[in-house]
Amino acid sequence: MNLILKLAWRNIWRNKKRSLITIASVLIAVFLAVFMRSMQLGMYSNMIKNVVNTYSGYIQIHKKGFWDEQTLDNSMIFDDKLYKSLINTDGVIELIPRIQTFSLMSAGKTTKGVMLQGINLEKEVKLTDWSKRLVAGQLFKSNDRSVMITKGLAKFFNKTVGDTVVFIGQGYHGVSAAGKYPISGIINMSNPKLNRLLVFFPLKLAQEFSSANGLVTNLIIAKEDKAEMNDIYNSLSNKIDLNKYEIMTWEKMIPELKETIAVDNIGGILMIAILYMIISFGILGTVLMMTEERIYELGVMLAIGTKKIKLTLMLVIESIILSLIGVIAGMLLVSPLVLYYHYNPFVIPGPKGEALKDFGFEPVIPMSTDINIFFTHAMIIFAIALIASLYPIMKVKFMKPIKAMRSL
Amino acid sequence: MNTVIKTEHLSKIYNQGEIEVKALNDVSCEFHKGEFTAIVGPSGSGKTTFLNIIGGLDSPNTGKVVIDNTDITKLKSGELIDFRLHNIGFIFQAYNLIPVLTAKENVEFIMLLQGIDKEYREKRTKELLKEVGLGKMMDRRPTQLSGGQQQRVAVARALASKPRFILADEPTANLDSKSTAQLLDIMAKLNEEEGITFIFSTHDQRVIDRAKRILVLEDGKIVEDKKM
Repeated sequence: MNLILKLAWRNIWRNKKRSLITIASVLIAVFLAVFMRSMQLGMYSNMIKNVVNTYSGYIQIHKKGFWDEQTLDNSMIFDDKLYKSLINTDGVIELIPRIQTFSLMSAGKTTKGVMLQGINLEKEVKLTDWSKRLVAGQLFKSNDRSVMITKGLAKFFNKTVGDTVVFIGQGYHGVSAAGKYPISGIINMSNPKLNRLLVFFPLKLAQEFSSANGLVTNLIIAKEDKAEMNDIYNSLSNKIDLNKYEIMTWEKMIPELKETIAVDNIGGILMIAILYMIISFGILGTVLMMTEERIYELGVMLAIGTKKIKLTLMLVIESIILSLIGVIAGMLLVSPLVLYYHYNPFVIPGPKGEALKDFGFEPVIPMSTDINIFFTHAMIIFAIALIASLYPIMKVKFMKPIKAMRSL
Repeated sequence: MNTVIKTEHLSKIYNQGEIEVKALNDVSCEFHKGEFTAIVGPSGSGKTTFLNIIGGLDSPNTGKVVIDNTDITKLKSGELIDFRLHNIGFIFQAYNLIPVLTAKENVEFIMLLQGIDKEYREKRTKELLKEVGLGKMMDRRPTQLSGGQQQRVAVARALASKPRFILADEPTANLDSKSTAQLLDIMAKLNEEEGITFIFSTHDQRVIDRAKRILVLEDGKIVEDKKM
């Protein structure tokens, strides 16, 4: 094996210029592919993070059937027993209970349907920083009897901090729900739709308002940043009774976001595919030349007793080494850039950035440092090198020494 | 005498378009251990084809080649490669050393393929290169050697596997007089002192003059077989 490696290595450097051109083309391909994918996937994960952290969380547990029929009657008991059975799951940092119902909100002669969310702010901070959303007043405490309304609603009702608003709705099992509460804070949800819809109650107050003491409608799972959502999903699925509860990832809860990303992703993949096609021809061309110009030599090696498998191995190793050098060099060059732009994301300037802000997205593109991106593209290059090696493999397989030695 | 190669009724026909060319026509002969045989004849007489067939590089249309009780025309491609590795040494007109390996590595290469251990390999490589007068040029690559020196490395390489016999196709065709003389001295010495069997095709009178047996081929037939 040492000899085969030695031969392969020296053969590569027989024609330095050609080998360097091939290595450079692999390097550029890896560099561009990793850079483009890191940017694209980083942008997607930032979009997901924005949406998910703002509102839904990555994973939610509900009473079975809640998602299809989102009423208080489909709420569930969230007690210590359920909490303890789930909190020790790997990657889970908090279970955040919410109660959600619809109500009429009224102030003066104005009335509007709103979505009422009972939240526990002490736990919600594990998901997002609420102080950044506060545009006026202050965040309520868990025992407060005040509410926070979104910016859009404050504008709609022309109300501000300290004003009182009235809520009339339907509570648990059809009980009527009514109450008037002062506004302690105005919240900006960024997302224009949510900004005209949401009112936040302290969890206890919301439960009391809805006559749903001890009940929650949504249990949001806050996870460690690096933890894999699907791993947590699988672990939790094994822990809960799926006849009583339903567990959903953001992909199921917000399919439109997943679809948007999927459609955009196709464009990126097409670009990379074109890049790889160009590179494939480069590698194939080199392998072809490295084989064809050495047919005579290979014939001699065969004549003096070199087994075909060893010749094949030597040629395959040559194309793998060429690709490997290109891949490693490409990775070494692109890694610092990816890391830099991960911690110092591109900022989208001007109206585009403003538009993104209006829709609740941060106008930045942080690059993804997901090791899988590097690994995947290294593997693709290897696959291309191996496919290109099929040519010398077939050539050697059917090689007859006497014919090969007449090729000079 | 100890027969090393026996050919029986060897024929080889090449099709060149619609014309059939009989490169070998019912050739039967024997080669014995320790012989120093020159196969001579005009261009197109079938010398190279004959060498290729007895070297297992080409197959005849009819007839057989028996080497130590093995009919090599019956061997499969993989078996033939193995047979050549252990039984036949080759010296080619264009030297055909592996260009990326040094003289030492070229000689060692065959023994590596045979799976011989490192210690013995290195010892034998040094001995062989010294024997062909290249003890001080072991680490040179073929491009750093003259034609004659390369051909001497090729001789050392052919000997490395301890073959039953060595086939040399026009080994001096690309060499000057001095190199030819040196090479012939080495081959003759190996033949005389170590009993190595050499069979070579040649046009070169200087080679023919040193041969102990001359086979003359014409139109694919042996027309003369004389011992000197």
